Amino acid sequence: MSLRERYGGMTRAEQGVSLFVCGFTALLVVALLTGGLTPSYTLYLAGLTGMYVLLSLGLNAQWGYTGLINFSVAAFFGLGAYGAALVTASNSPLAIPGGVLVGLVLAVVGSAVVATAIAIPTLRLRADYLAIASLGLAEVVRQIVLNQRDWTNGSGGLRGIPDVFAGWPVLGPLPGELPGLQFAEYAVGIPGLFRIRVLGFTLGEPFWTDLLNFVAVVVFVAAVYLLLRRVHRSPWGRVLRTIRSDEELASALGKDTYAFKLQSFVLGSVVMALGGVFYAYLVAYVDPGDLEPINTFYVWIAVILGGSGSNRGAMFGGFVVVAIREGTRFASDILPARLPVDVPVLVDVYGAIVSDFGSTRLLIVGLLIVLVMRLRPEGVLPPQRELLWPSALEETDE
Amino acid sequence: MALLELLANGLVFSSIIVLASIGLSLVYSIADFANFAHGDTMAVGAYAALLAFGVIGGVGPTVLALPVGFFLSLAVGGAVAALVAVITHVLVYEPLEVDSIGLLITSIGVAFVYRAIIQLRFGSNPVEFGIPLQRPIDALVPLGIRITVHEIAIVASAAILVVGLHLLLQYTDLGRKMRATADNPSLARVAGIRTRRIEWWTWIIGAGLAGVGGGFLGLYNQLSPRMGFDILLVVFAAVILGGIGSVYGAMAGGLLIGVINQLMPAISNVAVALPLVPNVGPAYADTVAFLIMVAVLLVRPSGIAGGETT
Repeated sequence: MSLRERYGGMTRAEQGVSLFVCGFTALLVVALLTGGLTPSYTLYLAGLTGMYVLLSLGLNAQWGYTGLINFSVAAFFGLGAYGAALVTASNSPLAIPGGVLVGLVLAVVGSAVVATAIAIPTLRLRADYLAIASLGLAEVVRQIVLNQRDWTNGSGGLRGIPDVFAGWPVLGPLPGELPGLQFAEYAVGIPGLFRIRVLGFTLGEPFWTDLLNFVAVVVFVAAVYLLLRRVHRSPWGRVLRTIRSDEELASALGKDTYAFKLQSFVLGSVVMALGGVFYAYLVAYVDPGDLEPINTFYVWIAVILGGSGSNRGAMFGGFVVVAIREGTRFASDILPARLPVDVPVLVDVYGAIVSDFGSTRLLIVGLLIVLVMRLRPEGVLPPQRELLWPSALEETDE
Repeated sequence: MALLELLANGLVFSSIIVLASIGLSLVYSIADFANFAHGDTMAVGAYAALLAFGVIGGVGPTVLALPVGFFLSLAVGGAVAALVAVITHVLVYEPLEVDSIGLLITSIGVAFVYRAIIQLRFGSNPVEFGIPLQRPIDALVPLGIRITVHEIAIVASAAILVVGLHLLLQYTDLGRKMRATADNPSLARVAGIRTRRIEWWTWIIGAGLAGVGGGFLGLYNQLSPRMGFDILLVVFAAVILGGIGSVYGAMAGGLLIGVINQLMPAISNVAVALPLVPNVGPAYADTVAFLIMVAVLLVRPSGIAGGETT
């Protein structure tokens, strides 16, 4: 199938999303070439996107598939991040021996255990009670991380987390062995109209390390995506979808809905913990601030904006969240501090918004939640054909 | 023994929780969703009171070591919170075509918008009303109770408001209509009650009380943009403990949760002496409230009031 035919076969929403993602990627590439972004920051952004995609895929497996309102995303993310950090960080109070894999296993097992412990009592509750209880339990986890200094170093956080592949046989020394690539600076443009300088940077060892981290994220995201897509289409996934639309129907059909809800909750929580593990390696530092409730709601935006129940939607949502998070940071650097025109009230409002981008981000997040629920509660990419087996689709087309 | 003092402190903190939990419970029963923006409505009221206090400040004589202007400012704060809540209801909640879970998610967005606007206007750092702090009342110090006149004012004002609400609910036409709507909205509509108007009144009363509670919280601690969100889970715990939808249950739940919250130092002292109990310090006061909430949800989801709706 040619690219054109594929584009023609998409729904309008899919076309719009494809254009958005392509346009956004193109913008990043242009910014990279013209020096607006450094290569390592670009890779950081890409890694952050991968992490948010993992978190939204995890939440989607709970809320999108089964309809479980989990407001403790930040807690599972934090368990993953702290699980990885406690093993490898240089100032870890517990000093658990082991490397990346031990951290990964600890994070996955830890989050699965905590998810089961939280789920067993709360999943029997009504949906809105579950929301309140899970937000409360997320706060409990945050309080413990903050107050148990002898385990987590409290508000000081954990620093000195090494690179993902440090100390591995082949991959560890690889970045150091790869040659540094030097790109000469060029000036391009149309004579007389404009000239810009492009390239002119060197890709050395830090870049290769970041690239390796990024490749690891991509591999994990792809594996998780394929796995979730497979289980979502499977008979197991169909039961989850039935529970979401009508739980009594599912139990009338003889399904143990509680067991299915529990499995879906644990599956999603483990995926979130994986996101946390990557975050720890991405920024090489974790502190209890990462467990703030706002981080839970970033992920919620990604899922409801993308389309609850749609894995592709969750991936798209991850993109948008990074665009909001880092875009506002970027905007604060390039926007002028004062409005060029002098309109009395507007100048003050503009000044407040530009000078405090943390609050502006919160405002954007809040408005986005309200607008999505008002204008398109099903999200941008609600699940449609992706729930059908491709072979079934071909038969109906004929 | 400092137990008396902790109890007295618990009573003061409870007064604020009670004011907040009444509104949350009213909205839960009449608008039918868990309003996560309720805590930030308290912050809106507190900051509106702060602005008003800056204008009318020390007007009038002092009552309980607080100028009458302060009580007027609190009234302004409550009114602003009520107005903001009604505007939000008309602009955001009413046009939505989603179920109660959708409303719940939307209310989180609303909460962030409130908080972001407060932060943009007042900054993220805590501020204070600037009323001089009081020394503990001398007559009570020998009894081991260190409590200030301001704290007496908080308890007394909360008591007046709660009694006022009780009279409103039980003896006025509006109160009867509100109780009928909470009990069975369709039946109330068939009986000729304009339920839309009742919803408005619910928001006005609930948010108004929350705004006043926020003002008292600002006097008791400090004002910060996160003050409401930080206390929201404790308020939810109180509402759930009392039984969702029951105003009187919410009052009882608020009283209990507030006292337990402040009694944490004593509770942790006792807990240390017991075997097999982890050493939970006062830092875990909120944690204990959440755990009580989860336990109540599991054992008795209808709350201590037994699901009797107002």
